[in-house]
Amino acid sequence: MKPAQFEQHEPKTVEEAVSLLESLDNRAILSGGQSMVPMLRFRLAVPETVIDINRIESLDYLEEDDGWLKIGALARHADVEHSELIAERYGSFADTAPLVADPQIRNRGTVAGSVAQADPKGDWGSVLLAHEGEVVAQGPDGERVIPADEFFLLPYDTTLDENELLTELRVPTPAPREGSAYHKLKRKVGDYAMAGSAARLVLDDEGRIEQAGIGLTAVDITNVRATDAEEHLEGERPSSDLFKRAGELAAEQSNPESDEHGDASYKERMVNVLTQRALGDAAERAGLVKRRVSQ
Amino acid sequence: MTNTREITLTVNGTEHTIDVEPRQLLVHAIREELDMTGTHIGCDTGNCGACTVLKDGEPIKSCLMFATQADGSELMTVEGMEELPEARGDLHPLQEGFREEHGLQCGYCTPGMLMSGKALLDENPDPSEAEIREAISGNLCRCTGYQNIVRSIEYAAEELEEVAAADGGTTAASAFDGEFDCGVENCCGGPSTDRDHDATEGGEHR
Repeated sequence: MKPAQFEQHEPKTVEEAVSLLESLDNRAILSGGQSMVPMLRFRLAVPETVIDINRIESLDYLEEDDGWLKIGALARHADVEHSELIAERYGSFADTAPLVADPQIRNRGTVAGSVAQADPKGDWGSVLLAHEGEVVAQGPDGERVIPADEFFLLPYDTTLDENELLTELRVPTPAPREGSAYHKLKRKVGDYAMAGSAARLVLDDEGRIEQAGIGLTAVDITNVRATDAEEHLEGERPSSDLFKRAGELAAEQSNPESDEHGDASYKERMVNVLTQRALGDAAERAGLVKRRVSQ
Repeated sequence: MTNTREITLTVNGTEHTIDVEPRQLLVHAIREELDMTGTHIGCDTGNCGACTVLKDGEPIKSCLMFATQADGSELMTVEGMEELPEARGDLHPLQEGFREEHGLQCGYCTPGMLMSGKALLDENPDPSEAEIREAISGNLCRCTGYQNIVRSIEYAAEELEEVAAADGGTTAASAFDGEFDCGVENCCGGPSTDRDHDATEGGEHR
């Protein structure tokens, strides 16, 4: 099916895009388009105007800067997948990128667009939450920084203002002893998650967990943090018993729905297992970072 | 047709200037404006990959992109395969592989499979079976069960290496002389100077 008629704008700068947002009603922002184009085709979205931001070259970046890993709004899943910086330093991002959809979709779809879409089955929201990341938005009154914790409201609904453009995602650069990972259960290759768990651990000099972040996919109305599990981990030494309890707490705090892929109790058990696996990988990687630094 | 826009697409080396509505999908522009019907429309939802084309060398699903978004880009479709130098005026080695190894039955998914296969072999001339399966994971085939498609791409990889050797040229694979550096410290293939490292170090690299 073809989309309904629309006017199209291709701004070249963020300022131009924001002023279009301000001056036009009933408009949609098009970035990677891998969810937006089907929505337009099925006429789930029928905007009068489409603002295509793909020509804003200043939004195409993936870099470390000033203590942050910064992901510009036009960085594609494939950019993360093929980045050496990500492969070396950001385990959870390196785990996640190849698990998003399929190679063609990853060449077009953007990480920031996926977060802005706020599908609770989306993977990146969990990673952003586990890393205590931030969302940067540009609006008529300038830049606004939104902590990931305060970003997701409902399925497909966020705290972005309607005149704001999401320009950047960012997470703190890794501490000396930090590791992160993402594990995802899906029915077959390319699918959305049935359940997913992102974990990030920061260890102190004694090897105790100084900071823990866990983000869950597809088991609540938005991507959510498993705060009970995080609190249970902090101050403790990594061990399989500790992670087992954290997995149970994450499962208890999750709120999955039964569907054709599995009932809620099955998904809760999967949250438990995936969280334990993600924590195990994160702890191992935190150790590897330490070895690399001490060489 | 109220608002149309002029765009330029270079398809298989030939430049085309066409007028399109903003809502026109790239796959429709290719099939209906340029009359190149080798690129198929399968599912219309972005799942099946039959509409896969190469945009500036990368495989994309042309049903998930508007034609205006491809303005100024280089596209490759299945029609361009025979014109590539490695086809030597006949079928491209990938097409030959699909024929020799029975990589198609109904043939509907084949143009997309060929494009994904082409993108893979351009990047990685000697892929493993797992790498081939990953590369075609965005392309659905309901006939073959994929086994013969994997064999077809393997066939093409071998054929391309032979073509390159016969031409006295080098593929990335045949150029490998032990001095390969993938750019990641202490990674898999490179001649690491320090073999004492845990093999999993730098293991994020894929």
